[in-house]
Amino acid sequence: MNIKFKQLSSEALDHGTEPKNLIRGIDISNLRSSQDLSLEDESVSMVVKDLSLYYSNKQALKGISLKIPKKRVTAFIGPSGCGKSTLLRCFNRMNDLVDNCRVEGEILRDGVNVNSKSIDVTQLRRKVGMVFQKPNPFPKTIYENVAYGLRIQGMKKRRVIDEKVEWALKGAALWDEVKDRLHESALGLSGGQQQRLVIARTIAVEPEVLLLDEPASALDPISTLKIEELINRLKDRFTIVIVTHNMQQAARVSDYTAFMYLGELIEFGNTNTIFTNPSKKQTEDYITGRYG
Amino acid sequence: MDLDNSGYSAHISQNFNEDLQKLKSEILEMGGLVEKQVANAVEALTEGDTALADRVRELEFEVNEFEIKLDEECTRILALRQPAASDLRMVISVSKTITDLERIGDESNKIAKLAIALVDEGGAPRGLVQTRHIGNLVRVMVQQALNAFARFDVHEAVQVVQEDKSVDLEYESAMRQLVTYMMEDPRSISRVLKVVWALRALERIGDHAMNIAEQLIYVVKGKDIRHRKLDQIKAQVLDTD
Amino acid sequence: MVHYSTTVTETRTSKFVSWVKDGSPWIWFNAGAVAISSVMVIGLLTFIGYKALTHFWPKTIYEYEIKSIEDGTVRVIAGEVWDTERFDRKYLMEAGVTIPADIEEAQRTLIKVGNRELTGLDFTWKYDFEVVGVSNPAELARLERREWGNFYGYPIAIKEEGKLVSPRESLWQEVLGRIERANALHKDIRAIEEKKIGAINYKLERLRLREKRLRLDNELTQSAMAELANQRVVLEQSYEVLQTELLSLRNDVRRDVLVVRTAGGHESTISFEYIISAVQPNSMSIWEKVKTYMVSISDFIVAEPREANTEGGVFPAIFGTVLMVIIMSIIVTPFGVIAAIYLREYASQGWFTRTIRIGVNNLAGVPSIVYGVFGLGFFVYFLGGNIDDLFYPEAAPAPVFGTPGLLWASVTLALLTVPVVIVATEEGLSRIPRSVKEGSLALGATKFETLYRVIIPMASPAMMTGLILAVARAAGEVAPLMLVGVVKLAPSLPLDANMPFLHLERKFMHLGFHIYDVGFQSPNVEAARPLVYATAFLLVLVIGALNLAAVNIRNRLREKYKSLET
Repeated sequence: MNIKFKQLSSEALDHGTEPKNLIRGIDISNLRSSQDLSLEDESVSMVVKDLSLYYSNKQALKGISLKIPKKRVTAFIGPSGCGKSTLLRCFNRMNDLVDNCRVEGEILRDGVNVNSKSIDVTQLRRKVGMVFQKPNPFPKTIYENVAYGLRIQGMKKRRVIDEKVEWALKGAALWDEVKDRLHESALGLSGGQQQRLVIARTIAVEPEVLLLDEPASALDPISTLKIEELINRLKDRFTIVIVTHNMQQAARVSDYTAFMYLGELIEFGNTNTIFTNPSKKQTEDYITGRYG
Repeated sequence: MDLDNSGYSAHISQNFNEDLQKLKSEILEMGGLVEKQVANAVEALTEGDTALADRVRELEFEVNEFEIKLDEECTRILALRQPAASDLRMVISVSKTITDLERIGDESNKIAKLAIALVDEGGAPRGLVQTRHIGNLVRVMVQQALNAFARFDVHEAVQVVQEDKSVDLEYESAMRQLVTYMMEDPRSISRVLKVVWALRALERIGDHAMNIAEQLIYVVKGKDIRHRKLDQIKAQVLDTD
Repeated sequence: MVHYSTTVTETRTSKFVSWVKDGSPWIWFNAGAVAISSVMVIGLLTFIGYKALTHFWPKTIYEYEIKSIEDGTVRVIAGEVWDTERFDRKYLMEAGVTIPADIEEAQRTLIKVGNRELTGLDFTWKYDFEVVGVSNPAELARLERREWGNFYGYPIAIKEEGKLVSPRESLWQEVLGRIERANALHKDIRAIEEKKIGAINYKLERLRLREKRLRLDNELTQSAMAELANQRVVLEQSYEVLQTELLSLRNDVRRDVLVVRTAGGHESTISFEYIISAVQPNSMSIWEKVKTYMVSISDFIVAEPREANTEGGVFPAIFGTVLMVIIMSIIVTPFGVIAAIYLREYASQGWFTRTIRIGVNNLAGVPSIVYGVFGLGFFVYFLGGNIDDLFYPEAAPAPVFGTPGLLWASVTLALLTVPVVIVATEEGLSRIPRSVKEGSLALGATKFETLYRVIIPMASPAMMTGLILAVARAAGEVAPLMLVGVVKLAPSLPLDANMPFLHLERKFMHLGFHIYDVGFQSPNVEAARPLVYATAFLLVLVIGALNLAAVNIRNRLREKYKSLET
């Protein structure tokens, strides 16, 4: 410890300043938590540029621009109908399924515009997975649910699929609960387990981004906590974007928070800042319960 | 997002509005008691009024009651309402402010006890002028801090922080004078020491008042300005208006 | 006091009002409607079932001595009681019946006397005042015959090749033994006639058609002709062999003759060749009667009809009904399901799809005979005619598919029932939670993958519901079938051992039509009436069984894909 301390301090002296996250050679990054995360320092997973979306003639998103940081949890909050789910569904083009829906502007992933016609939507959706509000397991066995995406991709080898299924279920913290009944119907699981199964199903195809559309809103508090803990674990591996109308949940799980109101992005920043000292009055009013 | 004074009527939950409103009015009430304690303690000391000193000590019980009650209130609001942003800052600051107020009460109590002791020993030989002076400064600081809290007035709060510096200076010079006096007249050391302790208590009250002001700035501005230099504080707090 | 009485009236009114208000009358209405419906359904089934099932019970044969009122002559008849009616004197007088002076009311009994070759009629009426003696002799036997209906009389002797034989045990046992022998031989004959010779005929017909085909195509070379002639010779040779075998079997079966005496004392002989079974119901124990009863019922189900459908069984009709329903299901299910999937999942919802939906729904209300006419005009004459021209020119002028048949009947009924399947499937598809569909798409599945991996399995119970409704409707439908393929008597089943096994072009029999035919087109209405009930009951059972099977499958699917709705 002593030697390390000396090495570190001499290093610090060489540079004339203390290295980041070190005070007298002691790593305080754990102490600092996400308070000091800053959008400018993050590498970017997706860039939204001036995105507008119209349902028939109604404009649902109004010129949204933001950057989704890589391997962080970004939460979208806002009152019902503010367009947060709509924005989320733009990332994997689920809005394609809606008739009369028109999108303007760009969403760049690896420099490629997701909205361009030439993009293979199924490939995009494999890379940008999505979990929905209500647990929606398929009426198949637990195993087949997780293997679904793999089979869609044309994976045939039983052994490989077995491994992937186990890996995904472990990743979704469900393995211990279901390992003895993999071949029973997924519909026999509880709501919280079903939702984790859906997350397992989504991560089984190893996407880069996980979109979570109010993933815990249909669950009881304990299941909700489990999901939140899972999100916390998964952020090392995936870029996570979560829509929630539970502000405390957004505060608990996310690194960055975007507040949306009437189709506009009002404020986007570090979650701690948003929840202790937001800079916009609308944000303040919403998160302190003054909205309405 | 700055907090303005109208904030506690706009929540959707009427109960929450009432809770916060009540919290604020009660802490001001507690502040009123403490302010009275400080004024009385200073007067008891300088005038040698033991009756007044007794009244200070009686008030102490009320202040303690307030502390416990408000603490509970803060805990309850945190648990039930999970306040965010300015509401959260408000509750946290109140929670800290009551500690400061209670300490101020304690210090006043201490001064009152010293006043009684001094009367028993035949009065203070020296230092009463300084005591009165610093006592006035400190009393005004407490008053200002509470005023700032009542009105969410950042400027007044910054003034309190500024005042504290001059209190410190006054305190140091008074100290020097009293130390000199004690060296000249060793027989009076015991009594002079009591005056020193009273001065010390007043200086602490000033610090607590400054803490309250700093909490207020945190409530209103969302900026933590503790342990910063005055010009930094001014730059951060006042220029952004 | 006044005040008090007002209160009482008020309470009374409010009691009635509250009884109305709390919905009790509605509950009674509903319960009443359900009760009436149940009573009607149960009553109907009980009535048909009773009539059908009692028909097969071996009836006692009575011997009546009848004295004519006019001339005083006495005759003896034997037979089974089928019906009784009562008339008053006036009515009978008006009808021209001579009636004794002291009788005010008379009962008339319908007796099945059989022996058609002797009496000309199976049935006869007698008035109870004519009867001077009734008995039920144990020896009196009922012989069921392949032709001429039943024979009632006393067996008195057996002749083998013209010579009387003395029975080893009793005469009756000997009769039964020889019937068994004759039946076994008859079975062999049938096997040769239908299976082997039928197969040879079928092959010969195919050879003829092939030859004609080759000639039409100008490919009838010498070698081909030689080849055909060769095959024909082989077939004809085996035909000769079978023919001789058949001849010897026929001689064999004709060996024995039964000598019987009717109740009237007339002696006649019946070849064992024609006797199917013989019973002496008057001397039977209950156990034997039950056994006979069971045999009669199973004969009814598995045997072929005889005597213009008035006797024998209905097996070809059951077979035809079930086969047609199955083929119809095979056609209608994919067709309806695909149409529903397109309407619900692919077509953009607008006025056009709305119009189609309205059309489909209205199609379900078109009278079925209209479908029959359409099927005859479009499927049979147009499609079938064209198919014949294109693929079976050698068969001309005889049509193959250009005539009503199993395929066209199935297709017509498929058309009739496709709206039901479409509506039910659409209903099922619309009930699938959107989230499940999105879940699949979000995993990178295409719309098609989502459809066949998730949506169709989940909608399968609804599809089965559609199919159940379709089957229930199709199995009971008669009118259109009369135009597109059902006949009163089909020479062969549409499924047999000859390539290609399933003969879709053949005409077939159908239970529903069978009922109509037996009931209204029969030469012997009295004899056929119980058969109408029996066939109707059987039709209900067949439809019930088909439905039960489908419901069972649906329930299993439902359990598997039970809805995600919480």
